[in-house]
Amino acid sequence: MIKHDVVIVGSGLAGMRAALEMCKDLDVAILSKVYPSRSHSGAAQGGIAAALGNSEPDSWEEHLYDTVKGGDFLNDQDAVEEYVKAAPDVIYELEHFGCVFSRTPDGKIAQRSFGGHSKPRACFSADRTGHTILHALHEQLLKHSKSIKIYSEWYMHSLILDGDRCNGVVVSDIRTGAVEVMQARAVIFATGGYGRVFNITSNAFAGTADGVMAAFRAGIPLEDAEFVQYHPSGLYRQGILFSEAARGEGGYLLNGEGDRFMEQYAPARMELAPRDIVARAAQSEMDAGRGVDGKDIIHLDLRHLGEARIMERLPQIRQLGIDFIGVDCVKDPLPIQPTAHYSMGGIPTDKTGHVITDEQGTRVNGFFAAGECACVSVHGANRLGTNSLLDAVVFGELAGRSALAYVNTVGHAKVNESHEKTKVLEQFENIFQQNGSESYNDIRDEMKTVMTENCGVFRDEDRLKVCIDTIQKLRERYERGKVTDKGKVFNSEIYEIIELGNMLGMAEIIATAALARQESRGGHFRTDYPKRDDENFLKHSLTYPKDGELEIKYKPVVITKHQPAERTY
Amino acid sequence: MKFALFTGCVAKGATRELMLSTTRAAEGLGIEFVEMKSAACCGAGVLSEKTPLVADALNARTFAIAEEQELDVVTICSTCQGVLKKTECHIDSDPGYKKKINHLLEEGGHQYTGGKIKVKHFANILSTEEGLNLLREKVKRPLAGLKAAAFYGCYVLRPSELSLYEDSDNPTGLEQIFEILGATPVYYDSRTKCCGFPIVMMNKETSHDMAGNALIDAIESGADCVVTGCPLCHLSLDSYQPEIEKMNKKGYSVPILHLPQLVALALGYSPQELEMDKHIVSTARLDKILEG
Amino acid sequence: MATFRIKRYNPEKQPEPYYEEFQLDIPQGATLLDCMNQIKWTLDGSFTYRMSCRSAICGSCAVKANGHALLACQRQASHLVKNGDTIVLEPLGNMKPIKDLVVDFKPFWDKIDKIKPYLQPKTRAPEKERLQSPEQFKRIDDSSTCIMCGSCYSDCNVLEVNDKFLGPAALAKAQRFVEDSRDGKTHERVKELSKPGGIWDCTHCAECVERCPKPARPFDRIKEVMTVALEERVTNNTGARHAISFTKSIKSSGRLNENTLPVESVGYFNVKGLFDLLPVGLRMLFKGKIPPILHKSIDDVDDVKRIFMEADKE
Repeated sequence: MIKHDVVIVGSGLAGMRAALEMCKDLDVAILSKVYPSRSHSGAAQGGIAAALGNSEPDSWEEHLYDTVKGGDFLNDQDAVEEYVKAAPDVIYELEHFGCVFSRTPDGKIAQRSFGGHSKPRACFSADRTGHTILHALHEQLLKHSKSIKIYSEWYMHSLILDGDRCNGVVVSDIRTGAVEVMQARAVIFATGGYGRVFNITSNAFAGTADGVMAAFRAGIPLEDAEFVQYHPSGLYRQGILFSEAARGEGGYLLNGEGDRFMEQYAPARMELAPRDIVARAAQSEMDAGRGVDGKDIIHLDLRHLGEARIMERLPQIRQLGIDFIGVDCVKDPLPIQPTAHYSMGGIPTDKTGHVITDEQGTRVNGFFAAGECACVSVHGANRLGTNSLLDAVVFGELAGRSALAYVNTVGHAKVNESHEKTKVLEQFENIFQQNGSESYNDIRDEMKTVMTENCGVFRDEDRLKVCIDTIQKLRERYERGKVTDKGKVFNSEIYEIIELGNMLGMAEIIATAALARQESRGGHFRTDYPKRDDENFLKHSLTYPKDGELEIKYKPVVITKHQPAERTY
Repeated sequence: MKFALFTGCVAKGATRELMLSTTRAAEGLGIEFVEMKSAACCGAGVLSEKTPLVADALNARTFAIAEEQELDVVTICSTCQGVLKKTECHIDSDPGYKKKINHLLEEGGHQYTGGKIKVKHFANILSTEEGLNLLREKVKRPLAGLKAAAFYGCYVLRPSELSLYEDSDNPTGLEQIFEILGATPVYYDSRTKCCGFPIVMMNKETSHDMAGNALIDAIESGADCVVTGCPLCHLSLDSYQPEIEKMNKKGYSVPILHLPQLVALALGYSPQELEMDKHIVSTARLDKILEG
Repeated sequence: MATFRIKRYNPEKQPEPYYEEFQLDIPQGATLLDCMNQIKWTLDGSFTYRMSCRSAICGSCAVKANGHALLACQRQASHLVKNGDTIVLEPLGNMKPIKDLVVDFKPFWDKIDKIKPYLQPKTRAPEKERLQSPEQFKRIDDSSTCIMCGSCYSDCNVLEVNDKFLGPAALAKAQRFVEDSRDGKTHERVKELSKPGGIWDCTHCAECVERCPKPARPFDRIKEVMTVALEERVTNNTGARHAISFTKSIKSSGRLNENTLPVESVGYFNVKGLFDLLPVGLRMLFKGKIPPILHKSIDDVDDVKRIFMEADKE
């Protein structure tokens, strides 16, 4: 049995920031199924929000309001307030760590405009902000390598809960296939999102719901799972991201007729309306046959920015276009379509990062979550661009601080090693032994397709029912899958199969929560209930496992400063 | 054809046989070379370690002189070729930098305009259609039976945006020339690799290992000789071959030829006229092959 | 129909690697990674490689295609089809294979660790951000694009024969701190980097520049570190002496003095080094290859001297 004070699962911004918060006092382990520097936080491009006021006067109050309005008033405002107030110091700290930021002429951190933010608030490093922050934190991790043990290419299978207390995780070393119990006084999940359940997504192959489903299987509900953000500018068919910064720098969105169609949908903010609104507008244009060449394509036009500006501010975007579709955005518009991008929902936590299980805020002792896998909720029904990197760093730090305080009050609890280990070994054995005929690849493809088609930008009761029904059938077929590789060394196939199991579970939860929410709010749009319904649905959903079925409950939204109002841009 | 010849330092020093054979090859082909006697050393990518600005200024000065002569520049050293191209690319893509450089040149009476002249390696000239036709026409003694392994030299290949070869990972320019000369090209992995020369002072073992691996690769691929367009590669592969043999406890004795030597041989010059006896590794075995 | 000729290796099954061919129709617009996934998901589930972001930012999917390292997600497969219809896939070089295209990155990361890859600030943290001008940012902009994919490490010509070399990725990472205006350890860093295995062991082959999928271009960064090392007067090593002697020679004559360069590079007081030069020197002397003892200047050398002086003033 491996033993540490704290085990952090996931090594993106949230996980690494949490590790740094504790490493001076505790023996910390950080586990990643890739290498820390390969975490998906690095794919974030446009920026990280904070009201620094480096290019225009700004305040946390405005950041708060923009975030709440962007979230369609489903955000817990007490948490948002702490979060936006913490933002400036968090950015300064990153800068002090050595993070490489683009600069204003007077040497301050440069800031640009972003969708839904009323001020230029996005601190950035050209168009690779996530990458530079990820590497700055990775550098700090290496600096503190004496007290932080990095487990690269280890996979987390399950959470060890004993009543209301978390005592560790069961993991395996991908390179050797060895299953180990990791005993810990506290566990922090920073496992990211689950965009891979969709066909068109900006997410990495690693975004497969491992963390949230491990929590769910342990009996913890998932909050606001129906809220998935579709980013307006995914590369046509591939779904990989072209940053909103492209619009922040002044890029246009054009339909097949060459019109800046956002004029019809958000005349005041145009292309810089929040993502849910822009994605819906784009999807509506395509559905109405006004896509480019009649296809599901919208044009992102940057030509008027000029080569110099593009090379200074958006060099990566340009290269991605050239490499992936042979389009140079200096000369031609980029073909884009909405892409599943971010999960507003996740493991419910309070504003200190503690995982909670119900409306009363009952804590799971020793279990914390931060970043995209968690739902605090600061993003409500729709996250604003650049708020996610901030979320990861702010709540990574808070979760680390909370875990540190908690660990100082408890010792290691007893763990039944062989019992915990056997459960995971049996899962491996079951897959190896099942000798079925179903192709896991087909199952994965069908899941992704049905989710994008029926649980995407626009949803309705019929489509969601088709979706749930299909997923349930896929889950049955999953039990009869056919595995090729039965080896132990770096068996990536078996891990993909386990991940698929997680995704099927998650897909059903998303669709079920979406079916229950009979209103339209933020990223969740029901064509059969096209209006927001504050009377009945100004509340967070909590989806629980119950006897193999799903049970949905709700909890109220914390409203402090801003009463829900009509949302226009 | 008339060019401004940028000889580089080594062809005037440790590999004077390169200079001589270049003159002979040009003579045999009827190409006129006007030696750039006032051009400074290209810096070999070493001067720019100390002072990148001066390195670029001296190369810009060389271009300016060629512009004044209204002649394209031809190089006979892969390193010179790559280093000159790098300066050209840097200055041409940055108007502010060009201004700064020209400011430095001004008092000497030179100004670099850009876009007026081209910089090409001798091999680049010969491997064009025109060059190959000229070779075909002038070959007097086809090198039948000779298996020649090209060794390009890093600087004419990488970075590829500065290379004149279409596919710098799989260049064919030298091999095309070999074929026209009647020799059989030998393709082997190391032909685009580094000879190790730049670190021969700093890390002898590593340098010799790199050269040794290339030699072994060429030999195992059946080469009778290695032909290079770079005098620095020649030093590494020829002058240091005894050290490499000693290190690897093996005798190789692979003759290393300069490209102009191979060309001039096919044009009918004798090995003596090309000072092949100046090489450290004897080229005698080639005589036998060529005599058939 | 394209043929993917893949180097397979599975130590659990057989100790030696072997090549296996797969036939696949390359879908329009498919990246190499898309094709690898098709092979894994429809033809052979045991085919093993790393991947994650598929947008050229995580650095997971670097492999060798047709003999050279690249990011599989970044290249259109159709562009890689050569010699009729075949793409050859192999694991990255200079690292030990674990299974199929997965290699052991440990030496790579160990070397990153060695260069102290974190900011060592010059000043105590101010209340807000440390100021850094856009020009100062530009000095570290390119090196900070490195995604640690290992492509440069794989194809580095020096690492092929000398595993002590820190390698292009670590040295490029070093530049990111050496030239960071906020870092206070510039001198200590370049001193460390000037030791054997460091910057002066780079052989200028530019393979790393060619393989780098980002603007990081390690060799360019290595040269920047060399320049800083010389500015910082860290000159008690062959590489630095070589650059200084080279410069001196051009400054005085417009061309390289091949007779003084080796001697000045190893150092006048380095008896063993000088002794080592003897065999090759004698050999060349015997063959009449020693450059003229009376070193001749280029025509108009005064103009060259003037340029050096003018540039010094700047």
